Amino acid sequence: MSSVGVFICHCGTNIAGKVDVAKVSDDAINIPGVVYSSHQKYSCSEAGQKVIIDAIKENRIDKVVIGSCSPKMHENTFRKTIEQAGLNPYMLEIANLREHVSWVTADKDSATRKAFDLVKAAVGKVSFAKPLTPGQVTVEKRALVIGGGIAGIQAALDIANMGYEVVMVEKEPSIGGRMAQLDKTFPTLDCSACILSPRMVDVAQHPNIRLLTYSEVENVNGYVGNFNVTIRKKAKFVDESICTGCLECVTKCPLKKKIPNEFENGKAPRGAIYVPFAQAVPKVPVIDKEHCQWLLSPDPDTIEVAEGEKKPKRKCGVCAKKCELGAIDFDMQDELINEKFGAIVIATGFNLFDHKKYGEYGAGEIPDVITGLDFERMVNSSGPTEGKIVRPSNGEKPKKVAFIQCVGSRDEAKGIPYCSRICCMYTAKQAILVREKLPDAEVYVFYMDIRAGGKGYEEFVLRAQREYGANYVRGRVSRIYEQDGHLVLKAADTILGMPLEMEADMVILATGSIAREDSVALANTIGITTDAYGFISEVHPKLKPVEVPREGVFACGAALSPRDIPDTVATAGAVAAKVGVLFSNDILMSDPMVANVDPMVCVACGACVEVCPYSAITMEEFRGKKFAKVNEAMCQGCGTCSAACRPGAAQLRGQTDEQILKSIEAVLQW
Amino acid sequence: MVENQEFKIIGFFCNWCSYAGADLAGNLRLAYPADLRIARIPCTGRMDPLFALKALLDGADGVMVSG
Repeated sequence: MSSVGVFICHCGTNIAGKVDVAKVSDDAINIPGVVYSSHQKYSCSEAGQKVIIDAIKENRIDKVVIGSCSPKMHENTFRKTIEQAGLNPYMLEIANLREHVSWVTADKDSATRKAFDLVKAAVGKVSFAKPLTPGQVTVEKRALVIGGGIAGIQAALDIANMGYEVVMVEKEPSIGGRMAQLDKTFPTLDCSACILSPRMVDVAQHPNIRLLTYSEVENVNGYVGNFNVTIRKKAKFVDESICTGCLECVTKCPLKKKIPNEFENGKAPRGAIYVPFAQAVPKVPVIDKEHCQWLLSPDPDTIEVAEGEKKPKRKCGVCAKKCELGAIDFDMQDELINEKFGAIVIATGFNLFDHKKYGEYGAGEIPDVITGLDFERMVNSSGPTEGKIVRPSNGEKPKKVAFIQCVGSRDEAKGIPYCSRICCMYTAKQAILVREKLPDAEVYVFYMDIRAGGKGYEEFVLRAQREYGANYVRGRVSRIYEQDGHLVLKAADTILGMPLEMEADMVILATGSIAREDSVALANTIGITTDAYGFISEVHPKLKPVEVPREGVFACGAALSPRDIPDTVATAGAVAAKVGVLFSNDILMSDPMVANVDPMVCVACGACVEVCPYSAITMEEFRGKKFAKVNEAMCQGCGTCSAACRPGAAQLRGQTDEQILKSIEAVLQW
Repeated sequence: MVENQEFKIIGFFCNWCSYAGADLAGNLRLAYPADLRIARIPCTGRMDPLFALKALLDGADGVMVSG
């Protein structure tokens, strides 16, 4: 029989104002198993904890019930308290007398009765508590960074500089991400490539970082400190160890002007063998197997021909002939790499809204209506027009340029009610760039509200307006159509309260940020969740902004929600710090409140294996007897196995059948 | 339903959503009838039908599972 001590907290007047704490405490002494009961003003205070410790020692209490605030508040505090008194920290049960009683009950008598019932339940439950000891797991001090944009680059460099090994996986042939596509950055007008390229090179040259481009994460198993990850390294058909990046192959590919280059947002061509852009890291071309004529033509070995006839040859193969080093390898296959990591960083970034969904703006069919990203490439000196701002329809300089903000942002009708946070600023930047390069051109910006929250942001927008003479018109454009070689915009000026019709030569749509199309699939692979829009969900938006619900996995940058470069870099640094904290441990303590299967009771029906959402249970065999076994490090303590187990062999420690049944009985029968 | 009679309803609430929700109701001081006694379970997956039967057999007026 256990000796339970009951301590009822007043919480000032928070509990004592509604619950007759003296009565609950006096009555508690009559609950079976209770040997001591008292009440005190603040149990969580240093003095209050001392009362508990002294009472435990003096009255030989071996199990403790504390009637106080929610266990989510102070369960850990009181576990440490009773540990100081020499008890196992899990010999504790909290009766939630504040959030569940005093704060939600009008009548004092009802509150007191309810409080006493909850104390009885806690005594019933704790009387079957058993001492628990946390397990220990080692930490593999290597980090996997998924995504090679500025978020992943920053996180990888910070973690690597702490002295830990990093593997960076990037889906595209080069790292750099969205930031590499930009021309200038707001509000400083720094050249994007100039500040990014050195960091890309740092990643490639860092002794602690291994870069896997053209690769994707295929499978994630394991748990914090011990993830097993399968990475698919897609065949590049170019041997990285031989290639020197001379790009002779690229210049000779007969398709070099035929395939839209994704990096240029499809506005400039690439070949079937290509590097996406001049500063690519690594500067090793890849062969796109969807287009390469050699790879698409049938293998002569598989073709049967009549005797005497010549077998048809593979088409093309020019790149292989031009490569003096013999780096082209058409037989290369995808490679599956299995690696162990202690932490995983998601830095997969974002996509831009597809303006084809805006029929009123021409649904992408009007050549002179382009997106902000198209403009970034156009105004960039290494882009499709080598930095010249021209109308795509005729190659002439525009005399009048209109910007439309909130295209695929703050538009509930298009399913995007949120603000993308970057468009007001990049529009102001692009307006400045137009006025800088074409001082004679007029610039109009149609906006809903200007959201310029950030260091130097409001001033930057004012500069666009005052110094560069961009005309800001508050109102939405309702329609754009072509007429006599111009564009006609129909809009409303909501400040003047008047309809407006305007001619322009070129329209730039500020398309908003959306989640990457494969973000949900990646979340499923890792076993985490996304929000309604497909962005990765954090544990807590304020207090755990870079943690995701799977321990040991972190996320940063625009994979979490739309954000600009400073916020992306800040969260990447935050993630690196979190990984550093994790890796500062040689051994992690695991929660002991996990499931356990008694092999002597188990009938090996396999029900628990089937229901376990974490795949933590496997079937084992010992001397001919089969039984289920729980991997305690993988178990998250949900107890589903316990509910599914018919003979009662699977039990969740701290939440066993007998504990819960006893607490029910205590409320209703005692 | 008898007026002014207090019932005993046993609630089995998931730690992560409903139990936290009941805490939030407290934080917001949302008063509700005192008939509910909430047991914290780690997940509604832990909810063994036996618990509901045990509560009803022991005289509970109702059982509420939330998660």
